[in-house]
Amino acid sequence: MTTIKATFYLTARALRETLRQPGVEVGNIFIPLFFLFVTVGAIGEVSGRAFGVENYKGFQLPVAILQGVAGASSSSGLGMVTDIERGYFDTLMLTPAPRIALVLGRLAADGIRVMVLTTIILSVGLLIGSGIESGPAGAVMVVVVAGAFGLAYSGIGLSIALRTGSPQAAQLGFLIFFPLIFLSPAFAPKEVFAGWLRFLANINPVTYILEGMRSLVLDGWDWPQLAYALIAIGGFAAVTLSMALAALRSRTA
Amino acid sequence: MPAILAEGLVKHFSPEILAVDGIDLTIGEGQIFGFLGQNGSGKTTTVRMLTTLLRPTKGRAAVNGLDVIRQAAEVRKSIGVALQEASLDDMQTGRELLTLQSRLYGMDGRGLKGRIEKLLAVVDLADAADRLVKTYSGGMKRRLDLAAALVHNPKTVFLDEPTSGLDPISRESIWRYVRELNGDLGVTFFLTTQYLEEADRLADEVAIIEAGKIVALGSPQELKATIGTDVVTVRVAGTEADVERASETARRLEGAEEVRTVDDSVVIYVREGSAAIARVVLMLNEEGLDVREVTLARPTLDDVFLRKTGHHLEAAEQKRLKTDRAANA
Repeated sequence: MTTIKATFYLTARALRETLRQPGVEVGNIFIPLFFLFVTVGAIGEVSGRAFGVENYKGFQLPVAILQGVAGASSSSGLGMVTDIERGYFDTLMLTPAPRIALVLGRLAADGIRVMVLTTIILSVGLLIGSGIESGPAGAVMVVVVAGAFGLAYSGIGLSIALRTGSPQAAQLGFLIFFPLIFLSPAFAPKEVFAGWLRFLANINPVTYILEGMRSLVLDGWDWPQLAYALIAIGGFAAVTLSMALAALRSRTA
Repeated sequence: MPAILAEGLVKHFSPEILAVDGIDLTIGEGQIFGFLGQNGSGKTTTVRMLTTLLRPTKGRAAVNGLDVIRQAAEVRKSIGVALQEASLDDMQTGRELLTLQSRLYGMDGRGLKGRIEKLLAVVDLADAADRLVKTYSGGMKRRLDLAAALVHNPKTVFLDEPTSGLDPISRESIWRYVRELNGDLGVTFFLTTQYLEEADRLADEVAIIEAGKIVALGSPQELKATIGTDVVTVRVAGTEADVERASETARRLEGAEEVRTVDDSVVIYVREGSAAIARVVLMLNEEGLDVREVTLARPTLDDVFLRKTGHHLEAAEQKRLKTDRAANA
């Protein structure tokens, strides 16, 4: 059994599970859109005068996407916990399928779910007039960046799931997103931040992912900005995925 | 080559917790082996080591001639496993679950469909095949789990408490499948159980495990023969002290090899039990004790268990249920 084949079958199974519980995804789409509407309603009228952002819908759209991505990729940690609690994870571990495929299958399914979800949130943003300066190819790039961030982010939920096997702990995966997004230029450009907050934003990988996605919406193709975003995702993924693999190994000790 | 071989198998979960304390086993091909013990005795830990889910702390084990540590992947290909509590996925249908299981064992398109159809029929799930597993009853889940353990025609199958919590009819049907597979295809079975009857009726050979150690090993007949006596059980009315006094009295009975007190009864292992009954009742009456019930039996596996561990197997299970209820109240 090759890793690729096993991963393919396990991805299909994870996606089937998603299709049978669509309610979970509705929340992952609805909550970020709610935040998008209220934030634009509250700040959109003054953002131009206050900090020079005229298109605040476009400014907020990537925040909504990242929030949706974090929500969606955390729920796969929950799926993993359910497998562990029911013992199905052990049943899968007993097959000759390479064990890494158990993690890769979930990751790949997350990447696909996240890209579908991003397409929906992005479409709503375009409908309300956020616009996208980089054009249709840029929209595809937004979806790809979101998918990559989703893969990296699900590493957090999967490591917690594999380490603890506890549903309560698996919820933490999403909670970690709040400090990450609030310590980034989510509501205003970091140029207007107080010094301490700007310092924290500068060392936060989510800042670069957000700015990269935002540049596609507001400015067009800004290659250096995009490169920063991809490097940040790569670094983030390296950390979370090694954590997930270490957690997988610890389960068979 | 034995189907299962274990030498000095030890598992420590932490310095204080010794779950399995040096187990040696040799199980021949085509055997049904019953591993009998109560909760926490080390049964499941042993199964998890033999099936490559847990690494032994010490010792070695081989299944179908393959080392469980160095050749773990090959071991997994050659065995089928149904874990405790039917370890399934609620959000797939029975057919989807068996298909995924087969694919993960590297079986592909041709013949796969037919094989799954056949398996579903064998475990009487053909009608429910396209329903989600979460709609299945406990018995149906166990049968599906058994089918999932068999998709790749394994030579050796591990069943961890395959019938616990099942009604007698479902239990009988699981036993029937095990016997058929063993008889027709020569599949070796390693099954753990808390039920003496299950071990007695199904297993060619039985091991009793207590606190991580094997305390008895042999065929059910051999084990019962080691008792060598009849079993006379006398239930006595009155206080604990009365039961204790009855036990003291019974010890003076001629030919009594062993006397044990269990709850409000005195269990006497004695040769020619039928002749001993009259004498023991007389002795107890002389002591002024009120005898409520006297039974004479050939030894059962329960007596073997009692003799080897000092307590009943079922009693331990009931006691746990009682404390669970008390904890919930």
